[in-house]
Amino acid sequence: MYDLHQPEGRVTDVGRRRIGVAALVGSLAPSGTALADHHHDMAMSENHQADASELSVGVSVEAARFDTGPYVGSYEGITPSLGWLRGRFGASATISLYHLDENGLGTNGLGDTMLGGHATVLATDAVQTGVALHVMLPTGSELENLGMGHVMAMPSAWGSWRARPVTVMATAGYGRALTGLGGAHHDHGAAPLVDPMNMQELTWSAGAGFDVGHGFGIDGRALGGIPIGSGVNRVIAGAHVAWSTQRVSTGCELQLGLAGDPFTIRAVVDTALRF
Amino acid sequence: MRFVVIGFAIAACTNTAAPMATQTVCPTPDPGTLTWDSFGQPFMATYCTACHASTLSHSQRNGAPLYHDYDTLTGVLEIPDHIDSYAGAGPAATNTLMPPGRCPSVPGGGLDRDCPHPSDAERTNLSLWIACERLRPH
Repeated sequence: MYDLHQPEGRVTDVGRRRIGVAALVGSLAPSGTALADHHHDMAMSENHQADASELSVGVSVEAARFDTGPYVGSYEGITPSLGWLRGRFGASATISLYHLDENGLGTNGLGDTMLGGHATVLATDAVQTGVALHVMLPTGSELENLGMGHVMAMPSAWGSWRARPVTVMATAGYGRALTGLGGAHHDHGAAPLVDPMNMQELTWSAGAGFDVGHGFGIDGRALGGIPIGSGVNRVIAGAHVAWSTQRVSTGCELQLGLAGDPFTIRAVVDTALRF
Repeated sequence: MRFVVIGFAIAACTNTAAPMATQTVCPTPDPGTLTWDSFGQPFMATYCTACHASTLSHSQRNGAPLYHDYDTLTGVLEIPDHIDSYAGAGPAATNTLMPPGRCPSVPGGGLDRDCPHPSDAERTNLSLWIACERLRPH
């Protein structure tokens, strides 16, 4: 995660970092879907040459337990992802398939689809910044607690600062349901169960990573959403370990839901192949 | 652009109907023909309380959220708008999101039978009863 584990001597610092910054972009989106997106972006960028297009495919597997009060249960998900990167620009797409157990009822189904695009605005040896736009399409069933039930738009900005072997990063964004917030469509608060968001919220994340060397990196982060209007403040903390080669990146993350009941605990394993 | 087009196409194919307020208004004066005893309780017992009952634990509710309990009038009046928007019918909407397709034969049991479904007239009466009942002194 966060470009903390590049193979030594293969590419320039700027080239290696290009996707590390892109990795930040995903952390602004909802935590689960974005995780695949985010690690996928990272996998793409580490060895990217600025003048060439790079494609990547990835998959993320997650398992979580939740207790929101009205609902107690667990879910498992698998999220394929597809990414593209060229120069300062990149794009990605993910969609999840879930098995959800909620209050004694088991359900299988698609989650929402996440499409994202990002651009690096500033890239130096130490600092990178950029902007991104994620759009979430309601392919998941709202009634089965697998989807938001409406399109979400999530513009964001990100930045990172690196002093090897340490990198710190932060993101800030805004998410809004593209539907009436107070009209006929009800305000459901934070939903769905598999990746809750508020109808309108400010998103944030902050983290730091350490490059262990030999392709290994560890990092920790916190991320969340602050509701605008009615809703629930959401805070998640995560610890991540990753291993990367020139073409493959693999990682695992353990997350805790600290506020807002996104889940009590969640584990995610992801891998991506770039070519 | 292709991703966007494909995404919207998928969304159009998979998104389901949303719960809608029926905008039912209780006549003035309240006719008083629909009450908890004459309509509400038997309606809930027939269609809802196999999953939506305060006596059921999380694992016995077949997906029904906690605090959505319709075995008492008090429970119904906690979330009348929710009931109206999922099962009621009126000028603005006819909601058939509940009951679902499969139901337990006994409260808290497995989903072993097709759910009975209210008629349109019963859904209209549900929204009318809720609109009036919420205005009555309790």
